[in-house]
Amino acid sequence: MPLLKVDAITCGYGDVEVLSDVSAEVNAGEIVSVIGPNGAGKSTLMKAVFGLLHPWKGAISFKDQDISRLEPYDIVKLRMCYVPQVANVFTDLTVEDNLEMGAFVLSDGDMAERKERVFELFPRLKERRRQDAGKMSGGERQMVAMGSALMLDPELLLLDEPSAGLAPKMVEVIFDRIVRVNEEGIAVLMVEQNAKQSLYMAHRGYVLANGQNRFEGGGRELLNDPEVGRLYLGG
Amino acid sequence: MTDAADIAETSRAATDWRELRPAERLKAALQTRTAMVAAVILVLLGLWLAAEVQDVARSRLLSLAVWGVMLGGVIGLGAIGLTLIYGVLKFPNFSHGALVTLGAYIAFAVVTVWPGQSPALGPFSFGWDLIVGMIIAMPLVGLAALGLDRVVYRRLRIQKSSLVLFAMASLAMAFLLRSLIYLAWGSDFHFYYQGRANPSFTLIGVQVQADQIFILVLAFTLVGLIYLLLGRTKMGKAMRATANNPELAQVRGINTERVIAWTWIMSGALAAAGGVMYGLASQLRPEMGFWLLLPMFAAVIMGTIGNPRGALVGAIIIGVAQQVSTAFLNPAYGPAVAFVLMVLTLLLRPQGLFGGGS
Amino acid sequence: MMDAATIVKALLVAIPLSVAGVALLRIRWVLRLPLGIAAGVAAAFVLAAWLESGGLAYLVSFATMGGIYAILALGLNTQWGYGGHLNFGIAGFFAIGAFTTALFTTAEPTGTLAQYTQQAFGLEMPFLVGIAAGAVVAGIVALLIAVPVLRLRMDFLAIATIGIAEIIRLIFQNERWLANGPQPLRGIPQPGRCILEEQCGPHWLTVFLEPLTPRDYTYLYLIVITVFVVAVYLLAERAVRSPWGRMLRATRDEESSTAMSGKNVPWVRIQSFVFGAVIMGIAGGLYAHYTVTIDYSHFRPLFATFMVWVMLMLGGSGNNAGAVLGAFIVWAVWSGTAFMVGALEPVLGAISEDLPSRASYLRWLFVALLLAGIVLFRPQGIMPEEKVVSRHAFAPGEGPGEGGAQHQG
Repeated sequence: MPLLKVDAITCGYGDVEVLSDVSAEVNAGEIVSVIGPNGAGKSTLMKAVFGLLHPWKGAISFKDQDISRLEPYDIVKLRMCYVPQVANVFTDLTVEDNLEMGAFVLSDGDMAERKERVFELFPRLKERRRQDAGKMSGGERQMVAMGSALMLDPELLLLDEPSAGLAPKMVEVIFDRIVRVNEEGIAVLMVEQNAKQSLYMAHRGYVLANGQNRFEGGGRELLNDPEVGRLYLGG
Repeated sequence: MTDAADIAETSRAATDWRELRPAERLKAALQTRTAMVAAVILVLLGLWLAAEVQDVARSRLLSLAVWGVMLGGVIGLGAIGLTLIYGVLKFPNFSHGALVTLGAYIAFAVVTVWPGQSPALGPFSFGWDLIVGMIIAMPLVGLAALGLDRVVYRRLRIQKSSLVLFAMASLAMAFLLRSLIYLAWGSDFHFYYQGRANPSFTLIGVQVQADQIFILVLAFTLVGLIYLLLGRTKMGKAMRATANNPELAQVRGINTERVIAWTWIMSGALAAAGGVMYGLASQLRPEMGFWLLLPMFAAVIMGTIGNPRGALVGAIIIGVAQQVSTAFLNPAYGPAVAFVLMVLTLLLRPQGLFGGGS
Repeated sequence: MMDAATIVKALLVAIPLSVAGVALLRIRWVLRLPLGIAAGVAAAFVLAAWLESGGLAYLVSFATMGGIYAILALGLNTQWGYGGHLNFGIAGFFAIGAFTTALFTTAEPTGTLAQYTQQAFGLEMPFLVGIAAGAVVAGIVALLIAVPVLRLRMDFLAIATIGIAEIIRLIFQNERWLANGPQPLRGIPQPGRCILEEQCGPHWLTVFLEPLTPRDYTYLYLIVITVFVVAVYLLAERAVRSPWGRMLRATRDEESSTAMSGKNVPWVRIQSFVFGAVIMGIAGGLYAHYTVTIDYSHFRPLFATFMVWVMLMLGGSGNNAGAVLGAFIVWAVWSGTAFMVGALEPVLGAISEDLPSRASYLRWLFVALLLAGIVLFRPQGIMPEEKVVSRHAFAPGEGPGEGGAQHQG
């Protein structure tokens, strides 16, 4: 039984339809990667899953519960966390405060413990815990964003283009952390521009184009598929 | 963000700001924080000079400056509430002045019904009745502000209304509150204490009244408390977070409606405190809050919207500028001075003294 | 039977009523003109016969102020409805129009009067020159403000315009030398009043108006107002349907979706702001000649600004007819509250003996609730913004489906 099931959803913004009849699944403990050209609707899919958009048709369920009509703050309580692509940290707050906000819905009980775990994953953040998040570099901000999302110990982590705008060294670090996080049992649904890398890390992948499913399969499988390679991986 | 980052942000295509044409370089340089601080200092110096030219006594200027700091404290109390609402809810609350007035008048009601004459405390001109009045007024106005939100602004949020409708609604609420105040207390001027002595003494060569010291200390204390609240408590951080990035706050699971409710309560309470202080320092008029509205907005904008510390800093600058200008300008033009500073900010650096690059 | 005075009054009132009739009848022009006039004349005589002269005079003053507000609303509609400028400083341009007109048309005080009244100058110019001066000065001030201020984000513009209106009022209040400072400026001449007082003007007119007394001047002034309302309305409509108007609306919709920091404001948008201010200045001038005496307290920023915004929001912004309609409806509501409050006085007195004297603030309360209601339940107003179709619709590049990139998620 899949952890997350997106069942033939159609949705968009205002009058404009972006996704048509799109389906996807994430099983517990998997990394699932969604790739495709610009404008294919990848970000829209993420937003729909997290409740920032509601599907016009179709349904989304998480842990066997229908979440199609739920708002983000309800979905967070079900232990699904989202890292947006841009504006993903509170720039006026310190790193530490950002992490605390990630665990806002919890009582303060084990806040210190949770912070320690995040710092273990991102030691650089520990050094800068009292720095304003707005003053950090892009890569460090991405770490803060991911760390905040991890504070709730989610079962599913949604990542919207985690490598966007980062230097290659940073991209490596981030991807490495994603794998480590997954090894601890957290499922990951990831939308990425960096198609090759993300498929390489993923257990399974989906290729979206023009708001519709095009391909799906195992990560390495898609990576080696000649047609996928020609169309979307730059040959 | 640093000045270099500011300059880099404002220059469009050039990768190196040295590649910009002189005119563009000047424009970019003008929009840095340093430039703005320099501009503010220049304006204040200019005011000082204007007063000197008119042969105003040095000691008078100094006392005006001190009064200006005190006025800044009063403006600041209102401005902090205003900036929080502006930051969290993203619209200018034109009814904030009315909340200030309401607080002053509620305390006045308490003072009026107080049995007997409350004797003056220590060197001050007020007694326990005013303190109690303020303590009663603060939560009442906070709840009133919350009530208005529940009835009006929240519906607009649910309907995802545009900024204009929020502004209109706050204008309507301003009128509503003012009408109620006029109906309850009439249009006459009042004093908290009619004809009571207001002892003053000399401090470092400047004439100050004990009341003014109290106002200053209270303003800074309240601001300090708010500072702690916003910096150390979970709800306070959630308020700052929501003001900084409301969408992300939702994503992180922060209950933004609860944050908004607390923001209104705090905003109203601070406005009430400001009103009582202002009423004590001058007099109670139904339009007193509106008179402060422009300086409050100026302080909020100068100090960066959503930033409470900035609001206080802005308020003190405005207060000093307004008071010093009375040396050579008709005091009625106080709001005009605030306005000029506000427009300067908006033209040079709309994100204020503490904001990041545009 | 009606006496001579009443008949004359009915005929005078028939003019604005006919205009209203023609405006409201939405039928083909061939029929519209005669039917409208007929309806207007009939209504005028019915009203004149039915109401006592006091009632008719009240209607006339109601219509006069309604017309002045209608012009203000038309000005605001140009700025906001078509230009997208959130102007909260209407009262400022209104005041400038009024005071400028006053200064241009009154005489410099001399003799003992000079001890009580001060003004910067008094040119004793004719009425139309005064109105024009008021309009021009309002336009100049708008131009001076527009260049720095219009580039601001919408909410900042609102705050800035409140500030400007407040400063303008402060100047008129405190600068004694300018327009008598806090004291009222009196003796503003009324155009055509001499026809009733001294029988100046063409003979046929004097004979026609013979039954009236100088106190009935308001009937004549209503005709002046009607002319101006019609003229401003037609001008505004013309402007909106012209290529200039289309360009204005195009830039307005563009501006609302892009951040405005630092970009130069398109010249057309400045023009719309100035144009609206000019109209407001005209309204101010008309107001001054109507009330004969003005002072700063007539132009309290929040009140005048507030009322006109309620009018525009109720009538429907982006719609000139809506602006006029909203003005008259809200003015009727405001006037109606006076009666309502009068009727409530005994109730108020029972609650507290102070209340009846403060009853006028109950009227503000009512209008505030009205605005809140509009904002919550019908923000688009009675007449929503019309999609103006130009004569050149479907020209290359303008038809539906032309241009515009496909939006992808």
